[in-house]
Amino acid sequence: MPSEAALPSAATSVKSRGETTGRRMWRATYQQFEFKLGLFFLILLVGAALIYPELTNESPTRMHIMQRFWPPAFLPGGHWNHLLGTDQLGRDLFIRSLIGLQNALLISVSAVIIMFVVGAIIGLIAGYYGGIVDTILMRITDAQLAVPVIILAITILTVHRPTPESVTLVLALSGWPAYARVTRSVTLAERQREYVRGAKILGATPLRIIVQMISPNVLPPIAFVAVLDIARMMIFEAILGFIGIGVQPPTPTFGNIIADGRQYLINAWWISTMPGAFLFTTLLGINLVGSSIERARNKVLEGRI
Amino acid sequence: MAFLATFLIRRLAQGVIIVLIVSFAIFTALRLVPGDPARLILGPMASDAVVEKTAQEMGLREPIPVQYVHWLGQVVHGNLGTSFIKARNGSEVAGSRDADALGDKAPVMDLLAQTVPMTLQLAALALVFAFLISVPIGIIAGLNAGGWFDRFALYLGSAFVSIPNFWLAIVLALVVTAELQWIPSIGYQGFAYTILPAFVIAIEMSPVFMRSLSISVASAKQRNFVQLADVRGLSKRRILFRHILRNAAVPVLNIFGVQIGALLGGVLIVEYIFNYPGVGLLTVQAVLQRDFPVIQGVALLSACLFVVINILVDLVSTKIDPRLDF
Repeated sequence: MPSEAALPSAATSVKSRGETTGRRMWRATYQQFEFKLGLFFLILLVGAALIYPELTNESPTRMHIMQRFWPPAFLPGGHWNHLLGTDQLGRDLFIRSLIGLQNALLISVSAVIIMFVVGAIIGLIAGYYGGIVDTILMRITDAQLAVPVIILAITILTVHRPTPESVTLVLALSGWPAYARVTRSVTLAERQREYVRGAKILGATPLRIIVQMISPNVLPPIAFVAVLDIARMMIFEAILGFIGIGVQPPTPTFGNIIADGRQYLINAWWISTMPGAFLFTTLLGINLVGSSIERARNKVLEGRI
Repeated sequence: MAFLATFLIRRLAQGVIIVLIVSFAIFTALRLVPGDPARLILGPMASDAVVEKTAQEMGLREPIPVQYVHWLGQVVHGNLGTSFIKARNGSEVAGSRDADALGDKAPVMDLLAQTVPMTLQLAALALVFAFLISVPIGIIAGLNAGGWFDRFALYLGSAFVSIPNFWLAIVLALVVTAELQWIPSIGYQGFAYTILPAFVIAIEMSPVFMRSLSISVASAKQRNFVQLADVRGLSKRRILFRHILRNAAVPVLNIFGVQIGALLGGVLIVEYIFNYPGVGLLTVQAVLQRDFPVIQGVALLSACLFVVINILVDLVSTKIDPRLDF
């Protein structure tokens, strides 16, 4: 979640030294070891999730009746045919985790894009117009923040059959207020700047000012931090799946795999824990990359680079 | 004092508006749900006529705004309605064909009165754990910004945010409770049952505190008055507590206000996994059983809590840092 406090005004970013802000941010990001480490995890796991299912004839729903409850390959009794072991139906946990990762990524990336767009539009409008428009939009935002998202999510998804689309929308619903607030607070500062007042005097329409002038200055720094929200949404998606209101089986998701394995925890602990460890590693990759980007952005915006 | 009064009145008025919006939205959403609550209460065996009669008695056939105003009128008198499902004695009487069973249902107020203290206990212990973890690490990392401990804190924070809370809960229940039998969890038979759930919530919350604390300590350390304090010959201790921490506390408090929603979310899922009898478990059950009055009560309660805590955060902030304006 981007916090308002951590976001210096875009006004400090005018120092250019002949290099664009984007390039300097990229350089500051790439210099950090954490970024490379996180990227390594991500390339490994996401790469596997995209490529391996195409190469193998193993399917996430195929049952091997004779190979139920096989432990992971690195434990006694395990076999390299099933890297992370098999579940109560003899389904391969590695391929299930990979497909689960595909679904989780698709859902959470779409959700973050939607919440960013909605939040940015509301924040830009509230910040630019101010006054009564601002008050109304911000009260709605506060109201959304005041309901624990999980209650709202459970309510909506118990009522409507959970599909990938509805899960995505529910996740997006949870995140837009943060973006609306940050965008609003930066826009408030931005509209006081010379170029905006100049454009107004020259007769530019509000739409033109917001879309062509303010957004390019205000939104990119916020968008970079959105990477961290992808990780949060993946956890949230897994929680929904775990309660049984995520994308429904037989489609594997981290949530429903872990929930399935819960009843075999004592005898076959790997069914729940291995996909969880897989999810953890992916999230660690995203968080390392996301926080390196965040730090690089702060450095650049504060003019330290 | 007049200052304080106007601040409180303004913020409370805003708070009331927020709570009204939230409760109306939840109320409407629940009424738009397909499925008739009267049918849910009476069960599949009841005749349509009885269902219709009960629905009339419960006011379910009125327009939604009318129902809402009616509900609100009751809320003002401290009556949140009665559960559709839960009986006074704790058993569940859904689907009872006996229309009179309605009279035996537990009032939502009672259900909340039973569960809220349990959740407060859990949340308080979770906060204690979260602070025990994040305050020392955050301060040391902030004082040595850029050093090895700062990096260590960074990795630790990244690892903590990456742990899915429900997975950690399952793993801890398996290892600590089932295998090693160190700390009991699952259910509630005494204070010890609070420890593991609280720990899971604390792990989830501490990275945010850790990071905001280390950032604000690091920036406070750069300020002139702190650097001067050293020249003035003040003790390290005094500089840390009176100068650095006092300045670093405000951003952390604000983060805390924003985190309340996340805390509630964490409480909900963790209570569900550990079968801990608090508001979270009550809510999950209510939602899965479509027990509307309970859901409305919980939503109302959490919205009020959110408003009150954010007002308190602002008040305490101005107490710590008198320069802040209301």
